[in-house]
Amino acid sequence: MLGFAKGLGYTLKKLSEKKVTHSYPDVPYPMPPRFRGIQHFSPEKCIVCNQCARICPTQCIQLTGKPHPDPEKKGKIIDTYDINFEICILCDLCTEVCPTEAIVMTNNFELAAYSRDELYKDLKWLDDNNTNVREEN
Amino acid sequence: MEQLLQQSTSLSTVMMFAAGAVVLLLIVLGFVTYAIYFERKVIGWMQLRVGPNRVGPLGLLQTVADVAKLLLKEDTRPKHADKALFALAPVLAYAPAFAVLAVIPFTDTLHFADLGVGILYYIALSGITVLGVITAGWASNNKYSLIGGLRSAAQMISYEVPLVMSVVGIILMTGSLNLKEIVYAQQDVWNIVPQFLGFIVFIIAAQAELNRTPFDLPEAESELVAGYHVEYSGFRFAMFMLAEYVYMFGMGALVTILFLGGWLPIHPALDFIPPVVWFILKFSLYVFFQFWLRATMPRLRADQLMSFAWKGLLPLALVNIMLTAIFISYQSGMM
Repeated sequence: MLGFAKGLGYTLKKLSEKKVTHSYPDVPYPMPPRFRGIQHFSPEKCIVCNQCARICPTQCIQLTGKPHPDPEKKGKIIDTYDINFEICILCDLCTEVCPTEAIVMTNNFELAAYSRDELYKDLKWLDDNNTNVREEN
Repeated sequence: MEQLLQQSTSLSTVMMFAAGAVVLLLIVLGFVTYAIYFERKVIGWMQLRVGPNRVGPLGLLQTVADVAKLLLKEDTRPKHADKALFALAPVLAYAPAFAVLAVIPFTDTLHFADLGVGILYYIALSGITVLGVITAGWASNNKYSLIGGLRSAAQMISYEVPLVMSVVGIILMTGSLNLKEIVYAQQDVWNIVPQFLGFIVFIIAAQAELNRTPFDLPEAESELVAGYHVEYSGFRFAMFMLAEYVYMFGMGALVTILFLGGWLPIHPALDFIPPVVWFILKFSLYVFFQFWLRATMPRLRADQLMSFAWKGLLPLALVNIMLTAIFISYQSGMM
């Protein structure tokens, strides 16, 4: 009988306690600083070295370069840059290997879409994905 | 209502009865809607969650959405089920649950039938629901629902005995089976004080009658999938759920009347608060207790269930009757 009252007292005490749940879709959930989210890509930093595409374990990165428009300068600039988020595993290898930090991780992670086609993200989209960029890459 | 019952039957009085029943039905439906909402909210809060909060402001329309979904669902029936009984079972379960409310006096003036044998009527009718449950279990042609139905029948029948026995003490004290008379007899002190043992037995047995935690074995989802209503879906399932919650309404009202002094205020000085508010207050207390218990208690084991009723509650109820009888005869100078 005493255990009974004890149990009821315990649940009653919990009634007014602070809730442990998050209101996630209403309030964004803060991710830890080293979270591996969707990449941000800055085309002006890219030197078209192709290292990210080569190291990618799922081959989800496709990129093409073009000659520098200024004929004085050597090297290439980026023309197209696509990541296929159907197969990207967000392993962080592309951002680790990038010599110029052109591709970095962000803390964004919401990728849900109605169509598979929407998961092919192009240069423009990755460039605009510039919020919550991870501080250390 | 009382004068209406005395009048000779005519079309207009019959219409009035029907209108009264419809109004009560609407009130009960409103109660069920928000009882389910608050049940989920209270249990959520006790488990450090928020509970339903997406549909409508503060989630107030959650139950409405759930019921709408149930009503729009396809009405499925197993191929080898007993067609007629399968359709009859939800009606058998629900009709007595609602008919029972006819004798409940909410206040001095606000009531329907004023039967001399109010309690007897209540208990006799609520026994019919067992029939609905076992019919549902058998007609579904499913082993889980049959086991659930049998368990439920065994449980409800054996707990009805201590339930009735625990009320006998009150009937002895009042000298009447009429629910209004019982409330009037509690002017000085509520029955919960002199009949505390009876109250405890009644609360426990009522819990088993309602098939609610910790006696929700008929629906033990971990062993029986969902008990006697495994095969029910859509509208018919809604009827079973409705019956369950309407019984909660009835039992809450009965506890309030029998033990908590019905519509009487705590102290005569608080008379200015309308009696119906007192009734709702005490009634809500019982309903909250239900939710609170559900958030606290685990389910009883099946083999402990029966022995608890026959070896635990029934002797206690009998002792209560004996004590009350001795006390009453002592008071009236027979001993």
